Amino acid sequence: MPDLNKLNQAILDGDAKTAASVTKEALEAGVDPVVLIQQHMVPAMDEVGRLYEAEEYFVPELLLAARAMKASLELLRPLLAESGAEPTGRVVIGTVKGDLHDIGKNLVGSMLEGGGFEVIDLGADVAPEKFIEAIQTRGARIVCLSALLTVTMPSMKKTIEALEQAGVRNQVKVLVGGAPVTPQFAKEIGADGYGETANAAVALARQFVQR
Amino acid sequence: MSNPRQRVNDAVERRSGPVPVDFGATSVTGIHVSVVAALRDHYGLEKRPVKIHEPLQMLGWVEDDLKVAMGIDTEGVFRRRTMFGYPNENWKPWNFNGLDVLVPEKFNTTVDANGDTLIYPEGDLSAAPSGRMPKGFHFFDAIIRQNHFDPDNLNPEDNCEEFKPLAEADVDAIAADVARAHATGRYVIAGFGGTAFGDIALVPGTFLKDPRGIRDITEWYVSLRSRRDYVHAVFERQCEVGIANLARIHEKVGSQVGAVFLCGTDFGTQTSAFCSKATFDELWLPHYRRVCDWVHANTAWKCFKHSCGSVGRFIPSFIEAGFDILNPVQCSATGMDPEHLKRTYGDLIAFWGGGVDTQQTLPFGTPAEVREQVLSRCEVFSRGGGFVFNSIHNIQAGTPVANVVAMLDAVREFNGRN
Repeated sequence: MPDLNKLNQAILDGDAKTAASVTKEALEAGVDPVVLIQQHMVPAMDEVGRLYEAEEYFVPELLLAARAMKASLELLRPLLAESGAEPTGRVVIGTVKGDLHDIGKNLVGSMLEGGGFEVIDLGADVAPEKFIEAIQTRGARIVCLSALLTVTMPSMKKTIEALEQAGVRNQVKVLVGGAPVTPQFAKEIGADGYGETANAAVALARQFVQR
Repeated sequence: MSNPRQRVNDAVERRSGPVPVDFGATSVTGIHVSVVAALRDHYGLEKRPVKIHEPLQMLGWVEDDLKVAMGIDTEGVFRRRTMFGYPNENWKPWNFNGLDVLVPEKFNTTVDANGDTLIYPEGDLSAAPSGRMPKGFHFFDAIIRQNHFDPDNLNPEDNCEEFKPLAEADVDAIAADVARAHATGRYVIAGFGGTAFGDIALVPGTFLKDPRGIRDITEWYVSLRSRRDYVHAVFERQCEVGIANLARIHEKVGSQVGAVFLCGTDFGTQTSAFCSKATFDELWLPHYRRVCDWVHANTAWKCFKHSCGSVGRFIPSFIEAGFDILNPVQCSATGMDPEHLKRTYGDLIAFWGGGVDTQQTLPFGTPAEVREQVLSRCEVFSRGGGFVFNSIHNIQAGTPVANVVAMLDAVREFNGRN
């Protein structure tokens, strides 16, 4: 049996090779994938989030930790699918129509994944109908909308309006974020929450699934 | 009454006087082409298509008649080749979302199946496109063309294709442009290129036909932590070539240039930073210091640094490196309160920007709200000199002309009172 604390440490260190090898060894030793996620990956990514909030970690460290977490998760995903284990929640995330920036969106997506959520990442410049499709066909119950540009903020409003017109708005919670977005703007466009940071987005998503 | 060049000079030297104004003289203090066109209409200037001189952000050229109408005190000199690698010459008509504009001969685009506009490096339609503008929107963004690389066998030279000695023709063209700019009587700020270390807008190499090395944005950010020797080697080479190019340019242009826009790498996010101060001090500070030291030792130019976001923690290092001017002074970011910045750093660095917020107030506020913010910012930042008025980064597409006019009128009002 490998020392599973090494998985936590590998994620904190952003060491993808070690994260994958410890995960592999643990699976071979019969450790339950859900235990690996809930008792090791989620606490490690929570700690990464804490270090980011405390400004001990910055974008490079966050990206590296996310890579390490994903290297482990890649090995666990097929097993989770086989066992029918449910994620903490199902999130669809994307940068809104007209906006091609995705660093912030990727960071939030990774932190949500690290928080035990299944993340359906639609990429950047995403049309409202793609969010609707993910809600209808993949069961996403949280929608995360990102924008970096002032001029693409109206696409957030249009996306929420499209969710309403498609009759799916009541099935989901909508979370918005990005440099020019403010809590006031989130309220004005009818979003359910505003995440100033990746950590705040995870905390809100957790609140949504607990309700 | 001082002349435009003197006004900016005084401000940059942190001497009291009227607040000078810059719009359009750099790629980070410009105006979206649609707003330039609307301003020309507002001021009743001759109707003619505006030139798009910076194609990534679709910035419009602010011609002399508009500069006079807006009360602009600066004149820009740009590197000869644009973000898509072609020179700004031989203009041709183009229609941009219904607006007739002019673009250079090699601004070559296609439209894909989604209706998005694709643009090509050096205008070469046989190369892979390097920029994309979503249908109906306002800017291009880089298309990431990351060739396969072996992480264990990276060669820094691959990331240095763009850092090479300028061709003699390019130096001559720059010299001619500096002479043109100087003859206007305005303060010349020049972005010669080549010294922007790790600027994330430049990393993807939108101007290269087949970029090698690390060109993916995420991969580059990761490298700041995991491949520091590689990043250092790239910066080292860039620094060497950049200084050599500045020396050749300086030989031809001398003190006709007031300030040189050395680097636009963003270190701040809205609430925090892209990297730690320790990372900055290790990776950037030595190279910045070397460039600024060379400029100060060999020229009369001032060193201009742009970085968006919450950069309070980096300002002491910017000053230590030798930067004389900070832009865009994003007061809406965490820790960037104008009063705090002025009180703490006002004796050490000049603020070029910070005049009005372009995330909220200028695009979405009322003219009265714009006026109020502009008067307040002028009051704080101009105390004892050290302030060149500019909005916080370029004026964005969709900004109401009434707000831009309210902004300019407020600067005039402030100058009239003081």
